[in-house]
Amino acid sequence: MTQAEIKLCSLLLQEHFGEIVEKIGVHLIKTGSQPLRVIVHDTGTSLDQVKKALCVLIQHNLVIYQVHKRGVVEYEAQCSRVLRMLRFPRYIYTTKALYGDTGELIVEELLLNGKMTMSAVVKKVADRLTDTMEDGKTMDYAEVSNTFVQLADTRFVQRCPMVHAPENSDTGPPPPAPSLVVNEKDMYLVPKLSLIGKGKRRRSSDEDAAGEPKAKKPKRTTDNKEPTPDDGIYWQTNLDRFHQHFRDQAIVNAVANRMDQTSSEIVRAMLRMSEVTTSSDAPFTQPLSSNEIFRSLPVGYNISKQVLDQYLTLLADDPLEFVGKSGDSGGGMYVINFHKALASLATATLESVIQERFGSRCARIFRLVLQKKHLEQKQVEDFAMIPAKEAKDMLYKMLSENFISLQEIPKTPDHAPSRTFYLYTVNVLSAARMLLHRCYKSVTNLIERRQFETKENKRLLEKSQRVEAIIASVQATGAEEAQLQEIEEMITAPERQQLETLKRNVNKLDASEIQVDETIFLLESYIESTMKKQ
Amino acid sequence: MAGNKGRGRAAYTFNIEAVGFGRGEKLPDVVLKPPPLFPDTDYKPVPLKTGESEDYMLALKQELRETMKRKPYFIEKSEEKPDIERYSKKYMQVYKEEWIPDWRRLPREMMPRKKCRKGPKLKNAKGTDKGSSLINTADILKKIEELEKRGEGEKSDEENEETEGSKEKNKDGDDDNDDDNAEQEDYDEEEQEEENDYINSYFEDGDDFGADSDDNMDEATY
Repeated sequence: MTQAEIKLCSLLLQEHFGEIVEKIGVHLIKTGSQPLRVIVHDTGTSLDQVKKALCVLIQHNLVIYQVHKRGVVEYEAQCSRVLRMLRFPRYIYTTKALYGDTGELIVEELLLNGKMTMSAVVKKVADRLTDTMEDGKTMDYAEVSNTFVQLADTRFVQRCPMVHAPENSDTGPPPPAPSLVVNEKDMYLVPKLSLIGKGKRRRSSDEDAAGEPKAKKPKRTTDNKEPTPDDGIYWQTNLDRFHQHFRDQAIVNAVANRMDQTSSEIVRAMLRMSEVTTSSDAPFTQPLSSNEIFRSLPVGYNISKQVLDQYLTLLADDPLEFVGKSGDSGGGMYVINFHKALASLATATLESVIQERFGSRCARIFRLVLQKKHLEQKQVEDFAMIPAKEAKDMLYKMLSENFISLQEIPKTPDHAPSRTFYLYTVNVLSAARMLLHRCYKSVTNLIERRQFETKENKRLLEKSQRVEAIIASVQATGAEEAQLQEIEEMITAPERQQLETLKRNVNKLDASEIQVDETIFLLESYIESTMKKQ
Repeated sequence: MAGNKGRGRAAYTFNIEAVGFGRGEKLPDVVLKPPPLFPDTDYKPVPLKTGESEDYMLALKQELRETMKRKPYFIEKSEEKPDIERYSKKYMQVYKEEWIPDWRRLPREMMPRKKCRKGPKLKNAKGTDKGSSLINTADILKKIEELEKRGEGEKSDEENEETEGSKEKNKDGDDDNDDDNAEQEDYDEEEQEEENDYINSYFEDGDDFGADSDDNMDEATY
């Protein structure tokens, strides 16, 4: 794990779970698999707190445990899973677009809680939806269950590995840790529950108005003591499926940008057909015949078979090679080449970065070297039609930033510099890795800056919160305009200005984080796909 | 060898033209310091994407951040007691739901020791906590005495470990212990350490200890 990744994980854990969990998590990421006692000793935190932190991390699928010999249980952190926390808003928004508010809340609950049983999810989501509905209306559990089943059918949520109960548990001592078994067949099998009920609206007396004090501690809820029928069956979000969806989206958008709407619809239809038949890390889809594609085009699209064939030929001949022709039966068999598509997308990202950072001439040189694979200094000047001095300058700038690399080809065995060719080349994989690393650093900087801005204005933020609380409580008990105005004037105009600026800055930083994460997704997918291919 | 133009003259070991500089051309200056921390960029960054989906995701992100802080998974660092206990703090505390993990899915060592206080530090009602903790520690001491009589080496070690563990827990006057629990802990410490040679009350360093000696500096200490 690179330093940048570790720093980013540390910031994410701190924001989501607090400092203690962050300490334990980062320690595990840095040192790998460790048993409990060693963690306690190395981090200097108490045993109790380490246990709590580990429970939280395991619950959220960020740490896994393994039993080693002599009964020692070792804990290992999953750094990549921690980095996914940056992408939560995107997951939730995607579900909203596909399955509406109900789906959105289901996925949100699952992401925030790590894993939950279906009944717990349904109950919570129904309660939340009921709160947002008008008075008198409640959300039925059945509706929420239906959406849950839909999500499970399309594999957006999956079952967690089950606890495997060994048969000979009576004879020997119980094992130090339960063994979790992944049952492939049942991963998306929804248990038959008859969840009857409606969401409960939170009673207004229970709500904590921010200004109202709560004198007593909340009593422990005693109504969930009896085991639910699906006890022990936990569900989690299937992040791979989401990634598959994002990848498909990216490909469709790319085709739409490069060609036109119709071709993107065709590609979308092809992707939809291969959703369930192709595994998420296959380099290309199963071959689809032109007839099948014609049948599965969306209903509103009436293009003739001939036009479809023309489009498919066009797509297959495109130099980007998103779609490939694999045979002629059934009117032509076509596949979508995921690896090539991801490679093109990653390359396009690189080109765009160079263009925005160094200018369009640099971008031209970059594309040239990319196309011709290896070029000498002189050849670059000639092909790019850029004066020698500028070309030199640009090449060295890109070289120093590691977008371009030098390849030495010696003419003589003694590698004498005067008799060696120096060729410029672009190694897309290493450039992508370098850019990814930079992205992690950017997000780290963004988060740190946001935390700094918030800390600087902490006093002002607290004051504005207090004023809002006062306004709310005064309004609740009935107030006049004059009173409200007086309270609002507690915050002076320059302070208001400051708050506005702060809000704008924080929004900008947050939005930047989300967009850098899109680039991170593309680059990570490309690197993963390339590594699998090798 | 060809290429030595004479001693003392600067000569490159390779053909300078291959790298792109003409012969005799002025080479750029050597840079003697690290690049600036915030260099000027020639090209300004592209503006961020805007739109409905981006706005929604932004609002979602900020909401999630707030929600996470209120979840039981967010473990706050224990703060030292402020010098003055503010009245408003009592009302601004956010009460979190409790979360009990499913112990069947976790390794056995994750469970807090049963013989010590029940469960991870939960905000129990005052009465039951005091009672159970006192009973537990009294039980432990009785067991230790029994075992000492029996003289079983291994088991007493285990028991000692557990009492140490419970001592640790008792000494941890942090996290979600209220004042009541703190009082309790003082009581427990005394009870458990009565076997010691050191008398606890003799060297009770309360708040007065350090402060007093600093205040009376004009008085000579003999």
